[in-house]
Amino acid sequence: MAGLGVAAPAWLPGRVAGAASSGTAYEGPYYAVFNASGGWDTTYLMDPKGIDGINRLFQQGDILSRGSHRFAPTAKHIAGGLSNEDFYKEYGSELLVFNGLDYAVNNHSPGARYMATGKLDSLAYPTFAALVAACRGPECPISYLTFGNYSATGNLVAMSRVPYLPSLQRIANADNVEGNPRSFYHDEFALRRIEETLAAEDRALAMDPRLPRAERAQSMLYAAQVNSKALQRVTEHIPKETPKERLSQQVEIALASFKAGVCVSANLTIGQFDSHANNDTDQMKLIPEFLAGIHYLLRRAEELGIRDKLVIVAQSEMGRTPTYNKGNGKDHWSIGSVLFLGPGIRGNRVIGATDDKQFAVPIDPGSLALKAEGGVKIKPEHVHAALRDLAGIAGHPFAKQFPLVFPEAEKLIGFWG
Amino acid sequence: MGRACKHRGRAHYWPMGLRPGSFLGFGCVALGLTTTLRADVFLDEVWPKVGAQKCLKCHKLGGDAEESAFVLLDPAKEIDAAAALKQNRAAFVKMARTAEKDQSQLLLKATGQLDHEGEKVVEPGTAAFDLLAGFVKESTRPGAPATAPAQPAAAAPPFFSGVAMVDDATLLRRATLSLAGRLPTDAEFATVAKAGREGVLQVLDGVLREDGFYDRLREGFNDIFLTLGFDGGAETALSYTHFSETRLWYQKHDLSHIKDEDERRKAGYKLAADYRAAILGEPMKLIEHIVRHDHPFTDILTADYIMVTPYSARGYGVYEEIKDRFKNPEDPFEYVPLQLKALTGRDKRQYQESATGFYPHAGLLSTFQYLRRYPTTETNRNRLRARMFYQHFLGVDVLELAARVTDAAAVTAKYEIPTMQAAECVVCHRTLDPVASLFQDYYDLEGVYGRRKDGWFKDMFQAGFEGEDMAPEERWRSLQWLAERTVRDPRFARTMVGHVYAILTGRKPLLPPKDIEDALYPARRRAYEAQQEAIRRIADKLVAADFNLKTAFKEWVVSDFYRADGLTTAVSDPGRLAELEDVGVVRLLSPEQLERKVTALFGEPWGKLKEQTAILYGGIDSKEVTERATDPSGAMGAIQRILSNEVACRNTAADFLKEPTERRLFPLVEAGETPGVSPEIDGRIRRTLANLHLRLLGRHDSVDSEEVGRSFQLFAGIVAEAKGRKGIENRESYYCRFGKEVPDPDYTIRAWRATLTYLLRRREFLYE
Repeated sequence: MAGLGVAAPAWLPGRVAGAASSGTAYEGPYYAVFNASGGWDTTYLMDPKGIDGINRLFQQGDILSRGSHRFAPTAKHIAGGLSNEDFYKEYGSELLVFNGLDYAVNNHSPGARYMATGKLDSLAYPTFAALVAACRGPECPISYLTFGNYSATGNLVAMSRVPYLPSLQRIANADNVEGNPRSFYHDEFALRRIEETLAAEDRALAMDPRLPRAERAQSMLYAAQVNSKALQRVTEHIPKETPKERLSQQVEIALASFKAGVCVSANLTIGQFDSHANNDTDQMKLIPEFLAGIHYLLRRAEELGIRDKLVIVAQSEMGRTPTYNKGNGKDHWSIGSVLFLGPGIRGNRVIGATDDKQFAVPIDPGSLALKAEGGVKIKPEHVHAALRDLAGIAGHPFAKQFPLVFPEAEKLIGFWG
Repeated sequence: MGRACKHRGRAHYWPMGLRPGSFLGFGCVALGLTTTLRADVFLDEVWPKVGAQKCLKCHKLGGDAEESAFVLLDPAKEIDAAAALKQNRAAFVKMARTAEKDQSQLLLKATGQLDHEGEKVVEPGTAAFDLLAGFVKESTRPGAPATAPAQPAAAAPPFFSGVAMVDDATLLRRATLSLAGRLPTDAEFATVAKAGREGVLQVLDGVLREDGFYDRLREGFNDIFLTLGFDGGAETALSYTHFSETRLWYQKHDLSHIKDEDERRKAGYKLAADYRAAILGEPMKLIEHIVRHDHPFTDILTADYIMVTPYSARGYGVYEEIKDRFKNPEDPFEYVPLQLKALTGRDKRQYQESATGFYPHAGLLSTFQYLRRYPTTETNRNRLRARMFYQHFLGVDVLELAARVTDAAAVTAKYEIPTMQAAECVVCHRTLDPVASLFQDYYDLEGVYGRRKDGWFKDMFQAGFEGEDMAPEERWRSLQWLAERTVRDPRFARTMVGHVYAILTGRKPLLPPKDIEDALYPARRRAYEAQQEAIRRIADKLVAADFNLKTAFKEWVVSDFYRADGLTTAVSDPGRLAELEDVGVVRLLSPEQLERKVTALFGEPWGKLKEQTAILYGGIDSKEVTERATDPSGAMGAIQRILSNEVACRNTAADFLKEPTERRLFPLVEAGETPGVSPEIDGRIRRTLANLHLRLLGRHDSVDSEEVGRSFQLFAGIVAEAKGRKGIENRESYYCRFGKEVPDPDYTIRAWRATLTYLLRRREFLYE
């Protein structure tokens, strides 16, 4: 990034703007947030019941366990993807499960917003993925990747939507004719002078009084163009073959970006979990597909040598009712679960629970033990506060700009082990 | 300087000597330095912070507490909002003065201490409680007036004080580029030079009749309604049930006159593609038709027709009946209005009842595309449609700020029909479900029209709108019944004005701030109110102009919100900055807009901002990706660099190869002229740069300005550096001369290309 002139972060207290890169690759940790969009049936994964007709595919006695985990048996019921049995066998020792999360609402839109941001009643809050990208890697050209679901940025960072792998290839060498590394539009010295003049222009504009929107736009634009040069690093990590599976395609884009040091977080999503009709058929197709996506990410990350820097959060905007409706489906349920895995997270643990009727059991935030009487029902803001701690961004000005408000006594202690 | 007020662990700041509410003995509620200090505590504090947020949801006509003694008016739904607020104040005062157990009923009810079905809505010890307590204290003070403000209003600087506005010529350029995708003509500039702002409006009268405007109009409204994005093949909008014989007409269309098999196959593909595009385009063409013909925009809900082309008419099976109405029956995209006959099907449920014999059209609302875009399921029961109806036509997003339910799972388990019995659910469903029930006959889960096999659901609120039940005899025309009431609702006009604002600025109107404990709440509230005031004003004009939507476009263009362009002096006060946060267009151009701008400036589009690249550049597909990116990512920054490189490459040498009088970019200089040779040449180079600044960036920079100086230094610096380098080719790059010989011994053409690249990467080019 030599010759680009001054590229100082333009952030001011209480204001937000882009930050131009010093050219250093971001080296992790990387954050992958998997969304089971539509509302997954947690009783067919990490919170099995098998009683009172909650699960038609198995009985209580069929429930499997591995270490501290209990999970639903699915191997016999799936036609593709990864069974729970295989998933827990492979990752149970690393996996932290939280059961009994209280979303408070049971509609998709507010639920997705709440789960993604930790704040129910605001449209302004960033998702965790966006927040951590803004705090950790504001200089990365595609710091925050999103493939759908609720993706608000809080105006902290630009979101990047990269629909297909070849699109990354196409833009990686922006100053080369048709992306050919040997053919330049401008001679090196002319391009350098263009960049220097843009930098001088940016500095001159900073001297003028501007509307907040104009100031922010100028800063974001300048940073976007300067930082885009780092995309050159992505090309070598783009695989020759594009996988067929929905999540695997997203994973490859995210991994190429992580590995190249141009991305901090990715919001990965598959939908159609909203199984109001034929719940078991749909969930037995989608949960294995979802788990296979996580498995694919971890396997490929291992190959790329970044698995130990990868933090995974797997979530949904709601759960599904403990009863089936007339169409063999299950409707919206405001209690659910979250999976976590990655550096800093001690696995083979399950925190929280639901009771036999699938209601959340309160816990003692200090000990994390179940405490039906006098305990706290854990909501997304509690989990997000813990996530911010895990990422080391709780004290960052951006995080403070979007506070998660709950009594101090409800803070989860030792959540990550 | 401000003093900190410790308020339950939070620090708020207010200017010295301006502690808001303190004159009434209120708690600590912050105001920004420059925020309006009106003394009407009910209007400024109690109503927006508590009444509108906590009470109005239920205590209104059609609300869950409509039969209580405390019924409020929603100012947004009243033509005379001030009168509604006056009535609400009286209701609050009356409730405040009614004592029970030696305490005001207002406080007792709000805190759930009396029989209050909505239970506790205000927590003691919060800012909301303090406000109510202060209001009660003031209202019960001996001699306190029941209806009038307690104090005379204090003056505040105008909202746009210190904000610089664009000049009229720049405003004209901004508007024509935005709305018609072109630069103003010299004649139009002359009109504005002569008549000022009035001249802008005169020119706009013409601009708003151009095809380019209608392209933008359709594009802008699709961003809102997203009808291009319904699921499945376009022809499936015409359901199998009703159009099985005709909707696949193209498969049997006679193309035998095309002898070559390959050509015939291609023609078949094109026929199908054009047919699908024609069907997809129908809803937005309805909007175009309404605006193009100056019909009242209420027709978006009340039009008793759809728009069809010769191709889509075949799909509906009516082509032969109406073919004479087309100027060119071979044109797949010539749209004319059509009133469909009532639908017929294969069984009784699929036969549409109709007192007129026609499909009961309700503008956009009853189009198959809209209904398919927002489909229903057996459990959703048309609630998505009701939600979108409220959002699209009344500006109410039922779900976005849904109240927190204490325990949704417990409520679900406790009540047999939570949506009708649990107060926490009823608060929304009482409004939403009657509208969902109005869609009850559009219930074919595969297609659109069809009655539910088991009859409409009994366990939900029945068909109606805002507290008015629909009479059974209106059922066959239920959407028309809804439309008639909707367009009379004052929120409809304001919502349409809001849509126009969104088309012009790329963002929705502000939502009212909710967090009353936010130190910047007053500033955010003032910003919201200032914008609402403009929306109300323009909505009044829209109504007065018989809902001609062009009025809304023109009024926004000349408004302070659209003209705001900078600050006259730097602002550092956080409150004022929060007030101005959303002021100014400053919009990252969408892929479509950017292509149109390149076309307007260079005569042809770049042509690469489509499909995947358009999505990568923040565009939408109307299906999965429905929100445009507002900030550029690094990926978008890369695309900007590619665009600037390629557009400069295509246009620099090409322009110099033309006669000077025919050049768009460099009419004043010749390729071989280098800087520093003579004052005369330097002068022409500077004039060229100033012209480029004006043409590409819309900047009126003088030839000796710092801005032009910077561009000159870039150009001259490159030429000078090239001169001192060895091994430089003496002609333009192979890639940028397009097979022609373009000598460039002094490197000037390449320096101009670099300068053009620099300008095309500037915010003034990439943003609106």
